[in-house]
Amino acid sequence: MLSFLVRRLLLVIPTLFLISVVIYALLALKPGDPLDELRFGNPGFTHADYERLVKLYGLDKPWYVRYWYWLGRAVRGDFGPSRRYGLPAAEFIFRQRLPNTLLLSGLALVVAFGVAVPAGVLCALRRHSFVDYTVTTLNFLGISVPVFWLGIMLIYLFSVRLGWLPAGSLGTPGLAAQGLGAYLWDRVRHLILPVVTLSSIQMATWTRFMRSSMLEVIHDEYIRTARAKGLPERTIVLKHALRNAVLPIITLVALAVPGVFSGAVLTETVFNWPGMGRAIYDAILANDFNVAMVALMFISLLILVFNILADVAYALVDPRIRYD
Amino acid sequence: MHGQSWAVRVGTVFVLLGLGGAALAGPALNNLVIGATQEPDQLNIWEGAADTKENILALLFLGLTYFDVDGNLLPGLATEVPTFANGRLRVYYDAAGNFLRQEVDWTLRDDAYWSDGTPITTADVVFTFEVQNHPLIPVTFRTFSNKIAEIIVHDAKNFTIVYKEPNPFYANPSGRIGLARFYDLAPKHVWEPIFLEAEAQPEKAAEIITAKFLGADPATGRDPAKVVGSGPFKFVEWRKNQYLRVVRRPDFFLKPPGPEENYIQEVIVRFIIHEPTLLAALFAGELDATDDIALSGYDPAVLAAQAGEMFKVEAVPSGFIEMLNFNHFGHERYGEEGCALARDLLLHDVRTRQAIIMAIDREALAEAVFPGAIVTNSFVVRGDVGYNPDLYPWPYDPERAKALLAELGWKDSDGNGILDRITPDGRKVEFRLPHVTTPAPFRIRTQELLMEYLAEVGIKLEPTNLPAAVLFSTEFINRGSICSWPGIIEYAAGGGIGEVPADEISGELWADDPTTPEPLDNVPRRANGFAGSNVGGWVHEEYDRLHFAALNEFDLEKRAAIIREMQVIFNRELPFIPLYERVGIIMYKVGLANYVFAPIARTPFWNAWMWGWVERGAVRVY
Repeated sequence: MLSFLVRRLLLVIPTLFLISVVIYALLALKPGDPLDELRFGNPGFTHADYERLVKLYGLDKPWYVRYWYWLGRAVRGDFGPSRRYGLPAAEFIFRQRLPNTLLLSGLALVVAFGVAVPAGVLCALRRHSFVDYTVTTLNFLGISVPVFWLGIMLIYLFSVRLGWLPAGSLGTPGLAAQGLGAYLWDRVRHLILPVVTLSSIQMATWTRFMRSSMLEVIHDEYIRTARAKGLPERTIVLKHALRNAVLPIITLVALAVPGVFSGAVLTETVFNWPGMGRAIYDAILANDFNVAMVALMFISLLILVFNILADVAYALVDPRIRYD
Repeated sequence: MHGQSWAVRVGTVFVLLGLGGAALAGPALNNLVIGATQEPDQLNIWEGAADTKENILALLFLGLTYFDVDGNLLPGLATEVPTFANGRLRVYYDAAGNFLRQEVDWTLRDDAYWSDGTPITTADVVFTFEVQNHPLIPVTFRTFSNKIAEIIVHDAKNFTIVYKEPNPFYANPSGRIGLARFYDLAPKHVWEPIFLEAEAQPEKAAEIITAKFLGADPATGRDPAKVVGSGPFKFVEWRKNQYLRVVRRPDFFLKPPGPEENYIQEVIVRFIIHEPTLLAALFAGELDATDDIALSGYDPAVLAAQAGEMFKVEAVPSGFIEMLNFNHFGHERYGEEGCALARDLLLHDVRTRQAIIMAIDREALAEAVFPGAIVTNSFVVRGDVGYNPDLYPWPYDPERAKALLAELGWKDSDGNGILDRITPDGRKVEFRLPHVTTPAPFRIRTQELLMEYLAEVGIKLEPTNLPAAVLFSTEFINRGSICSWPGIIEYAAGGGIGEVPADEISGELWADDPTTPEPLDNVPRRANGFAGSNVGGWVHEEYDRLHFAALNEFDLEKRAAIIREMQVIFNRELPFIPLYERVGIIMYKVGLANYVFAPIARTPFWNAWMWGWVERGAVRVY
């Protein structure tokens, strides 16, 4: 097991290297450079100005030369500055964007899981009842309604019509000065609609899975045995059935974890939430290469690491799997 | 019964949530929360600015001069605007009438201070000029500063700028035009240490400059104390992708009428990139106003109906003209290096362009895709001193369009509805016209309508959409000569308002300097490394001559007359098809006073020191 782990971890290095070459090359070879925005936004920007700045920023060098400069700095932990924001790219991603994404996506994951499991169990236990039909209908709506549309509708209802919740953003400007309590309460209010929106699809999908899984389990013989032994229904459901039924859902949740870090472009856009999804999207469109690189490399690293963790977890859970 | 109580409980929770956090906007706090869909990258004054950055900088900086709402050029940091009449502007010529030099005397106001209390002096002027022209500093434009021979300092408040080339726009503060602006002065005491640090390590210039100069605290706001400006408001904080907050400067020398405390004391600009979310925030009472860019493209009448009594909705001139630029690289002057497809389609022949403009119902198109927009026949917007109102209107006339196309040899020989012709080398070509633009919804709608209009005269429009970052890249838009876009490219150009009337004048979008030895040096081609702004490749000698005559003319009336003459050539030759003048929209609560769009300054932020709530005692001047 240990040698497997070491081998897999060592493989991460060349894999990351190859990924970095491919991503850098794709970014560098796509039409456009960081100066295009300046050039077309400003009619007084002459070609002489353009050439001067191209040379100054080193953009006149081939992409592979620039890549080596980038790699040389990156291995020392310096991912260069964001051309747009002037900040170090890593600071922009890890201090400004990642915490927001973790908060939103992490909460959405927790809410989705927290609602999906009991809802799925309830539907399975009361199959073909009014509750089952209602939840199933809501599930189909959750799966089929586009996230951005749901977000806009929630904003329209709860912000514009009812005025109960804010329309978006992290918080109300200037509220931090009114005390920690007011600030935290404001943050909670701003989280409600985006979390509900973002969790809707996973909530619906996982509820369906949970329902199916539970239906399979409660008809197994060991459940019948438990009932025959006279165990209370609550114990049968929570202790015997649920534990087994929830396993496939846990796999789905584990697969969703890397997505927590990469953000959700549509929800972030609709709710003006400055997260990773928009950061990557904007950085690519604005040719802010360093930001795009650090974000994409981070996500690549996470995917590689979570793949290893999943393999390890399989081995730990399933005694039939051996890596030696 | 049980269900009811559950619903009531949920409702109560939401009401409590709402009551627990009222939006901090409006007269109650005597502040102003403005919604914007774009956010500046940083606040450094050295780089060219998009419109949103111009708005923010107008809160923090005031230049030597500024335009008021009526287009009057007024002194800002300067005591008066230099003119021939007051003796502050002098132009010297030799006996043969050749330009020798131009001198402009400026005096800084005694009561002009930086926002940290330091007096604004000629040392700041000289420092700004030094940085402006330093080879290591990535200042975007040097069009203006390159013309400066020297700055003569007389004392702490008086200086003379000596030009080695004529600069009729010596006092124009319009940042976007960039041609004339002596950029917002930079506080030497703040920027000099950063400048010296960057200058000391030239071998790592690109990195250091980005990180230390463009990314310096005065530009990013990480250290609010370092963001020092000359304008009516003082920087407080900038939460990236959220909001930027400034407060009124009591020591700013321009004052509103009456007690200053009756006017806005704090301005918060909230950045909400998604327009529907911004509108929702506005109608939910979280915003007091929008800037002039956020709601561009919305129908003002629809917004007004939604706004009811709460908001005022005003359509304002955006200064931009939406246009269809042609690939002219089929012209014989480009020979074999030109674009063969453009040549096959005869886009270089003026009759083709005239046929296409007459095949388009521009009135209906403008109404459908950009409510409030006005069809134009010029590259200069209406209301500008140089606008020519007597141009041929090119009415919608598909029959004349068909006749012109027939004259060029186009006919539908196989009855498939698409015109075709036989080229001189014996090939049969169909009139399939590529059209490329960004995927903005109003442009996609434009493509749909253009397909219908052009199909009527036998032209098959073939639309493509590319992200702006690709469309405007030098690898694409500058390579029309090798057919990267062989037909039409649609975008908007500034039609300008004021002394420098268009992007065309300052940016030479379809002109070329006749005084330079290489006649096509502004036309991007393989021969010049695809450099230059004349991306369509239209060339007209008389137009070029007039263009550069306008650039060197000091008399505003004479300059306007030249520009009107240029428009006559443009109107006949149609290097591009002007579709319509776009409009901007500002929305603001009815009680907000003096939030007024100044067409020449192209911003409602030009007089921020006068913004106020009527119910707080602000006097409505505009």
